[in-house]
Amino acid sequence: MDSFSRAKLTRRDLLKGAVAAAALPKMFFLSSYSRPSVAYAAGDADLVIAQQGTPTQLLQAAMAPLGGMGRFVKKGQRVVIKANIAWARTPEQAATNNPELLSALIKMCYQAGAKRVAVWDHTCDNYQFCFSRSGLKKVTQEAGGDIYSGHGRNVYKKVEIPKGKKLKEAEFIQDVLETDVYITFPLPKQHFATELTLGLKNAMGTIWDMELLHKIDLHQCIADINTVRKPDLVVVDAIRILTTNGPKGPGKTEDIGEVCATTDMVAVDAYCASYFKHPKTGKPFRPAEIRFIKNAYDLGLGEMNLSKVRMKKVKAA
Amino acid sequence: MTGKLQLARRTVQAVSFFFLLYLIIQAAFPLEVRIPVDLYLRLDPFIAIVAFLTQGEIIIRMLPALGVLLLVVIFGNFFCGWFCPMGATLDFFDRVLFREKKRSKPINDQPLKRLRYGIFIFALTAGLLGLQVLYLLDPISLLTRTLVIAFYPPAVYIYNHLLPEIQRFLPGNPFILPAMKLPIFKVNLLIFLFFAGVLALGVIRRRFWCRYLCPLGTLFSLVSRLRIVGRSVSDACVQCGKCPEECSIGAIPGETPRQYRQQDCISCFQCLDCPPEATTFGFHFPRWKTAEGVSLSRRYVVGSLAFGVFSALAIKTNPLQTESGLKNNRLIRPPGALPENKFVAVCTGCGECLKVCPNNALQSTFLEAGLAGLYTPRLVPRIGYCEEHCNFCGRVCPTEAILPLSVEEKQKIQMGVAKIDKTRCIAFEEEKICLVCNEQCSYHAIVGDDKKRPMVKEEICTGCGICENKCPVDGESAIIVYTSGVQKKVKPQPESKA
Repeated sequence: MDSFSRAKLTRRDLLKGAVAAAALPKMFFLSSYSRPSVAYAAGDADLVIAQQGTPTQLLQAAMAPLGGMGRFVKKGQRVVIKANIAWARTPEQAATNNPELLSALIKMCYQAGAKRVAVWDHTCDNYQFCFSRSGLKKVTQEAGGDIYSGHGRNVYKKVEIPKGKKLKEAEFIQDVLETDVYITFPLPKQHFATELTLGLKNAMGTIWDMELLHKIDLHQCIADINTVRKPDLVVVDAIRILTTNGPKGPGKTEDIGEVCATTDMVAVDAYCASYFKHPKTGKPFRPAEIRFIKNAYDLGLGEMNLSKVRMKKVKAA
Repeated sequence: MTGKLQLARRTVQAVSFFFLLYLIIQAAFPLEVRIPVDLYLRLDPFIAIVAFLTQGEIIIRMLPALGVLLLVVIFGNFFCGWFCPMGATLDFFDRVLFREKKRSKPINDQPLKRLRYGIFIFALTAGLLGLQVLYLLDPISLLTRTLVIAFYPPAVYIYNHLLPEIQRFLPGNPFILPAMKLPIFKVNLLIFLFFAGVLALGVIRRRFWCRYLCPLGTLFSLVSRLRIVGRSVSDACVQCGKCPEECSIGAIPGETPRQYRQQDCISCFQCLDCPPEATTFGFHFPRWKTAEGVSLSRRYVVGSLAFGVFSALAIKTNPLQTESGLKNNRLIRPPGALPENKFVAVCTGCGECLKVCPNNALQSTFLEAGLAGLYTPRLVPRIGYCEEHCNFCGRVCPTEAILPLSVEEKQKIQMGVAKIDKTRCIAFEEEKICLVCNEQCSYHAIVGDDKKRPMVKEEICTGCGICENKCPVDGESAIIVYTSGVQKKVKPQPESKA
């Protein structure tokens, strides 16, 4: 577990660093200031990638340039975190969220004054097995949050999707629709049908009939459902990612050791796509190669072109 | 004194019934109770003996039942009157539903009294020849099955509908809790009607079922003649006729109330409510002599035997039961089930596995497994699939008809193999990007080709049915699990995949 939570700088990180080579000196300069205690002005960056550190450090480092959790969670608000607990897998297998990171996220919400934090997922495997094997039920409850599964249809509410191109209505988890603060908490994984599963696809766990989307047009529907309740904050758990046999695993994993925080759900997916290599070309995925990212961009949900995004990489420790 | 004793007995009965109910409710995730949830079934000597005979070996889990049998042999039948949850249920409903006055005057019930011996002989004969009617009549199995299949789903239904109302009164709860998944069982009405019928028989006589039908009670009657705790009546008896009327099992003959049939007595102690206080219970030397009651003629015994043999033969020659009839390739047995012939002979149809299955995947058969396999469990993937990390069904099976496997062993059992219907699969037919089956498969047994269409690797498919369950095609799934009728082990996979 220890080696798992410790992030390390991989060759890939360096390669990605080369993309922003010009920014590198600035990055290292900034890193000395990126302690959580340093207060940033709200919106210092739109996409923050924290590297090197324990999950808690990574989260704090990633949140600070965005303006801290206090920018998103106000006193007395209700917070819903859509985690990825879809499968009955252990944390080491990287098919579900990192427990330590989820715990840190919940605690951070409470520190910002949240009244109640609820963690939701509409699991694919039996929810009881998912919750216990992933270890996420335990950490959620220890952190003082509630964990709920969307296995009962009564927790859903049918809403229209006016901006949807192919999906016109769907049943969403009511708590997600009505909460004060909605945080989506995905984890990047390889996915055979859609190539990758990232933040946009995490929204599938907030609707009742997931199988229906496959029948219509999976990529477009993923974009469509994201028009309904945009997350106030996206926290991507890229500490360890699943690179084969996704999304359920077990497969090969890779320790990226990064946590991304942003308000732009398309930009973060575009960034995270580069963690994975295209099976045919062998090169990292370009955002436009993932159709749901392109579709979401076309719907105006965010910026796909990373050069237009105010991105910032910080060192957590 | 007698009032207190009856109060104590009713309390014990209620506790026994609610403890059974508690154990049934506990038969669910995470299944961490110390006491085995199938405790009552494991204490049932009738099931034990029949399962030993049909299985051909001693089942370790059922050994406690022999202890109960031994206690009954020595101390007499205290089980039915005090501990049997079915007896408790019948006593309760006999009091609640039917007024004593409405019952017909005692008639000569000699023919009826023979009935349970007849049924016992018939059921045992048929059972040993392969027709398990006796499990259907065993009171513990019957009650467990009824509670699980007939009463559990309506209870969940009511809970789910009350949930919003309850939560409205909870302060500071702005949302609603997820409802429980509603369990569904096809044969629920049939099982409810049978149970209701058993209760309704109480209108004729109190504990009609126990007196004239119950095979477990019959077994106790057969072995407990030499009991050392018994009833004795002093000379103070005035033959007032109260005790023959009060006796809930009809063990005291009306003409000679100072005698009783000690093997039938269920030690309910109602006869202690004796106006001249002539009746006492205490230790005594075992005695063979008993009051006249049942006269089993040779003709009756042979007749019952022949009936049992013929029924079994009729079942065996029925098309449902013949080799071709049993080749139902959709009949998937739970993981670790014994081979089909043994399975139907040993499974009591108690429904514990149906209750414990987290996905409602196990269903009770009606005629799919032939007449001999009535109410046995089968996996119906379209309703629920076999959860990868679950081995609950084997852990709660009292007779080990489903072997208790470790999770790792269970994951290697091949119950069946999935096959894709390419004419209906939307990846083939409509060229949609679907692959739900691929992403759901726990064992990487479904791979996609270069056009993102699914293919099954049959050698590593376990037949868990998650693909059939989640397939988005309407109605019948486009990927269906078929079984060969024999459970195999999947081949070990080389690690170097992917």
